[in-house]
Parts: sequence; structure tokens; C-alpha cells
Amino acid sequence: MDEGKPLFVQIAEQVEESILDGSIAEEAQAPSTNELAVFHRINPATAAKGVNMLVDKGVLYKRRGIGMFVSPGARELLLKERRNDFALRYVQPLLAEAQRIGLGPDDVADLIRTGAGATPAQP
Amino acid sequence: MTTLNPGAAMDHEVPRNRLLNVVRLQFVNTQTFVVVPALVLGGAWLISMLIFWVIGGAGVDGVKAGGGSQAPLWYFLAIGIQAMTMTFPFSQAMSLTRREFFIGSLAAAAVSGFGMALVFVLLGLFEQATGGYGINGYFAYLEWIWVAGPFAAGLTYFTATLFFFTIGFWFATIFKRFGALGLTTALLGLGLVLVGLVALATFQQAWPSVGRWFTETGSLGLTLWGLLLTGILAVGSYLTLRRMPA
Amino acid sequence: MNSVIQVRNLTKRYKDAVALDDVSFDIEKDAIYGLLGRNGAGKTTAMSILTAQNLPTSGEVRVFGENPYENARVLSRLCFVRESQKYPDDANPRHAFAAARLFFPRWDQGLAEELIDDFQIPLKRTIKKLSRGQLSAVGVVIGLASRAEVTFFDEPYLGLDAVARQIFYDRLLADYAEFPRTILLSSHLIDEVSNLIERVLLIDAGRILMDESAEDARSLATNVVGDAAAVDRAVNGREVIHRESLGRVTSVTFLGRPEASERAAMAAQGLEFAPVSLQQLIVRLTQQRSAGRDRSPAESQEGSLR
Repeated sequence: MDEGKPLFVQIAEQVEESILDGSIAEEAQAPSTNELAVFHRINPATAAKGVNMLVDKGVLYKRRGIGMFVSPGARELLLKERRNDFALRYVQPLLAEAQRIGLGPDDVADLIRTGAGATPAQP
Repeated sequence: MTTLNPGAAMDHEVPRNRLLNVVRLQFVNTQTFVVVPALVLGGAWLISMLIFWVIGGAGVDGVKAGGGSQAPLWYFLAIGIQAMTMTFPFSQAMSLTRREFFIGSLAAAAVSGFGMALVFVLLGLFEQATGGYGINGYFAYLEWIWVAGPFAAGLTYFTATLFFFTIGFWFATIFKRFGALGLTTALLGLGLVLVGLVALATFQQAWPSVGRWFTETGSLGLTLWGLLLTGILAVGSYLTLRRMPA
Repeated sequence: MNSVIQVRNLTKRYKDAVALDDVSFDIEKDAIYGLLGRNGAGKTTAMSILTAQNLPTSGEVRVFGENPYENARVLSRLCFVRESQKYPDDANPRHAFAAARLFFPRWDQGLAEELIDDFQIPLKRTIKKLSRGQLSAVGVVIGLASRAEVTFFDEPYLGLDAVARQIFYDRLLADYAEFPRTILLSSHLIDEVSNLIERVLLIDAGRILMDESAEDARSLATNVVGDAAAVDRAVNGREVIHRESLGRVTSVTFLGRPEASERAAMAAQGLEFAPVSLQQLIVRLTQQRSAGRDRSPAESQEGSLR
């Protein structure tokens, strides 16, 4: 999973995944810093940094004395962010690789429409 | 409280009873300080009894006094060595200061020595009361030691245990800190000093007065001198230990 | 800054070698430090002096603001688990734990018993007869259950198999999360501890080569792979700490992180980036240093990192 991303970013992304796929609902309690640290076998300070990043983003909020909870609207927020990033994270590398092997944007579009990948093309 | 250097450690008290706990540390495993000394004493007593019985059986009726009761004293030399070589590195893992370790170990030796002295006195009193177990055999009641009474006899025995303990402890410390060469040098030095004293007494033709001094001082007086000497040895041990790496 | 340990210009000279050479660093409260470096780099000497088991030749050491030497007030708050700890010859693990319970004010007997179970330590076997791994486990139990405010672990895992080491790391992390304290863990199994530690202190040949947060250390260097000529253009002007080639393909590790735009430009030329693990970085830095450079790259790079 490591693309050279800082560990705390990876931890934050994993929590985001759980919110996106609905395994942690909005207004539900999020895993604590210590739980994250023990589960991922990382230093609690690193886990805390990841959690704080999510708090700053408005994905999590703190209830005093109880713990971290998923903010209302967090899922929508994350979906919006992921959609914004989609072009950068997936489409650009896709087109770069396509160019390298001699496929134009239209070829790629065709492949996507016909659901390519099920049958690998013969050389 | 000074406001000059309010170190964070200031508000922390030293946990109490650390010294007492060093004594307990030495007794956690009872073998060194309790079981073996008791075995040596008991064994020496048994052998002495057998010898008295054999001699008695051979028809000798006079007072039979053996030196068997000194056997445990020598063992304290070994205890001193062990307390140093085995327990010191562990005491460091227990976050003890050298001072705490030293005083606590000395106290542990004193507890053990006191126990031995108590047994020695009780045996002596018993021998006194029963005329040497009815066979005129004396293991603990040695007249020269007992002239000043049971208390003085006990003190003599107790002092002897500590004396041997500190010697063992100091030499072990010297060995650990300065190696075999250091220990040999120290022993050689000690030998030279003793030879020097002998030479001095001889050249001054002072032996008669030396002998007189020993007789006049008596066992109690010698014991008190022995305590002083033990004290000096203890200070020497501590000074050697004080700056020794674990 | 809330440092529990301050070291200034510490030098330790043995008869024939310099173990620590004018070393200065601070240890912050309630963090796990990785004290990393090769065998003989000076890790054990540093820990021995901090716990007053050894004496400095020169320089100054402050623990909780005081000199730890013969200082019971300070020492009672420390625990040092040595790799080659000696125990009384006739003692067994039960004796050792009983003693530790006497001297560590925060000792947790329940935790100790759980750990004894975890590591399956035979309590009544003489310590002399324990295997190397069991001996290490005795030290690990004392170090964890003592919950000392500052705990030093010096290569605590010798002879422990992978499973037992994982138990140690997991237990350490879980207990630390619940009872935060300062932990100095010396190790050369860097990959195993790199996610555990918050800060890295790298010692090499008696000097501090790196004093960084583990997070920063991980982004200290970048690895780029690709066509030799393209790689050379990309790393031009950067400090290269390692280079290897296979045919026309070259792999270069250099200090620093290129900006996103630079990365994109390099990627367009077919270059691939790979993260440099803490272990790789440390191996490269120590190799480069022993190769005889007089200026440490970590130092020369410091300005640009802050």
C-alpha cells in the first residue's frame, strides 16, 4: 500500500475507506488513536497525526471524554474529494501508460465502454 | 526549596525502604545467606561431635575443644565474593545506586552474621550448662572467647563474620574493577605491609610487648579492634565500588 | 520542549577506543525512541552512562534535570534492560521478578504474569540454564512490567524468534498506548521497529548521525530508477548517497524530496520513484559515512529540511 506516502496519511486513508464503504456510519464512534496504533502496529503519535488530519478536514469530531465520532456529512465530503482526485489519481496514469503502448484516448474510451480487461488482447 | 535549579526530580521522593529492600534482595534466594551458612555450621558441629565421641571412646577424659566453629567464618569470605560478583550487576539492573547496594549487602551480611552468632552463643551456653554434652567436648564454648561472658563471645563471632565478609567483598571488587593483575598487586601489597610490620616488630625486638598487648587486650578488646578494622575495610570496599562500571 | 534527558558534549573513552565522541542530544518525555546504529557504534555505552551504570570521561548528562550518578531519586524512575544482563548464579526467573517488584515503584504484577505466560518463561529453572531467548524474555518482562518513566531496552530480542519478537512489539505498543512513558529502544532490526518509534537517534562510530522524527526520516531520501542518462539528469545537483546499475538501468538514492511538479516531470521521462525505507536510509548513510566523507549528509541537509 506504501507509495512513499507518510504513514499517518495512510492511516487516515484507511479510516476514510471505512467511512466511504459504510462500515463506520456517520455519527458512529471512530476507532481511537490507541486502537489504530495497536491494530496497525504503529506509534500512537503517528496514529494521532492521522486522526488529527481527519479532524482538521471535518471528517471526524471529538466528543469530550468519549472519543472520536464521524461527522455528519463526512461521507459526502469524502466522496466529493475522491471524485475531484479521480482524474489525477487514475485517469492521468491510465493515459500515460496508454500512450506508452500506443493507445490513444479514444482507444482507451472504447476499451472502457466495452468493459475491457475481461479478455486480454492478443499481440 | 531553591528556585535556582528546580529540576523535575525535585518533586519526586526517593521511594522508601530501598535499603531494606536490598537486604530482602539478598535474601530473595535464601541459599547464599541462610541455607549454606547453616549447613556449614551444622556440618562442622556434627563432625566435631563425632571426633569428641571417638576421642572419648579412646579414653581421653580431659576437656576437648575443637576449632570447628570457625568453619562458617571462612564461608563468609565466599559470601562476600558472591555478593559482589553475582548480585552487583543485577542490583544495577534494579536501578540501585552503588551506595544502596553496598550498605544493603553489608546489612544482609550482618543479619546473617547475627543469626550465626546467636546459634554460636546458644550452643556455648548449652555446652556450659551440660558440661560439654556430658562428654567434656566443646564446640562453641571456647574459654578464651567466653571470658567476658556470652554477650562478648557473640560479639566476637559476629565481628569475625563481618570481617571475613568485607575482605571477600573488597577483594572481589578489586578483581572486578582492576582485573587479575590488580588483585595480585593488592594482595602483594598487603603481604608486603604484613611482612613490614613483622620486620618492624622483630628489629625493634618488640615481640614481647606485642604478645603482652594481645594478652592484655583480651578477646573483647581485640573484637573491638576487629570491628574498627572491619569498618576501615568496609569504607575501602565502598570507595573501590563507588566509581566502578557495572 | 519537555525533555527528560539532556546530554551535552558527552565523551567516553576506553583504553583503546573512543565509544562516544562529543555527543549532544535531548530525549523528549513520553515518546518511543529508536537508538539505531551498528554494533559497537556506542549505543550501549550511551545507555549505561544515562543509567549511571558507567561514567562519562567528559561532558554532562542530566536525567529529570539531575545528574543520575549515585542518585536514587533519579534511578528509581529508570529501568535499563541490558542485552547481556547478569543475574545471580543461583537465581531463577521467579527470584528476578520478585526482586524487580521490590524496586520498581510502578511495577504491575498482573502485566508481568501475562507476559510470563506469553513468553512461556520457566519460573523455577535456574537462570544459567535458560536458553538465550528465555533469558531475553526475562529482561523484556522486567522492562515492560516495571513501567518505569524512562525505560531503556538494549537489543532486548536476542534469541527471540519472530513470533516472540512480535509479542514484544505488540505488548510494548499496547502498554505504551495505555501508560505513556519514555522508551529508548536500541536495535539493529530497523525494519521491525521503524513503525513503532516516534523518533530516530542514529549513532555511528560514537557520533550522532541523525536525530529526526521517524516520519521526517522516512522522507529524508528518495530513490529513482530508470534509464541511466535520464536518472543522471534528474539527480543532477542533488546529494547522491547510493548508486547501482544493471545494464542501462540505474537506481539512485538521493537526499531530499522532489516537488510534485518535478516528480511529474521525471515520471514523464519514464523514471520511477520508490520510497526509501528507514533501514535502507540508515544503511546508506552509515555506508557513506564509513566511506570517509568528512561531513555527514544529515547535517548538510538539515537546513533544507526545516
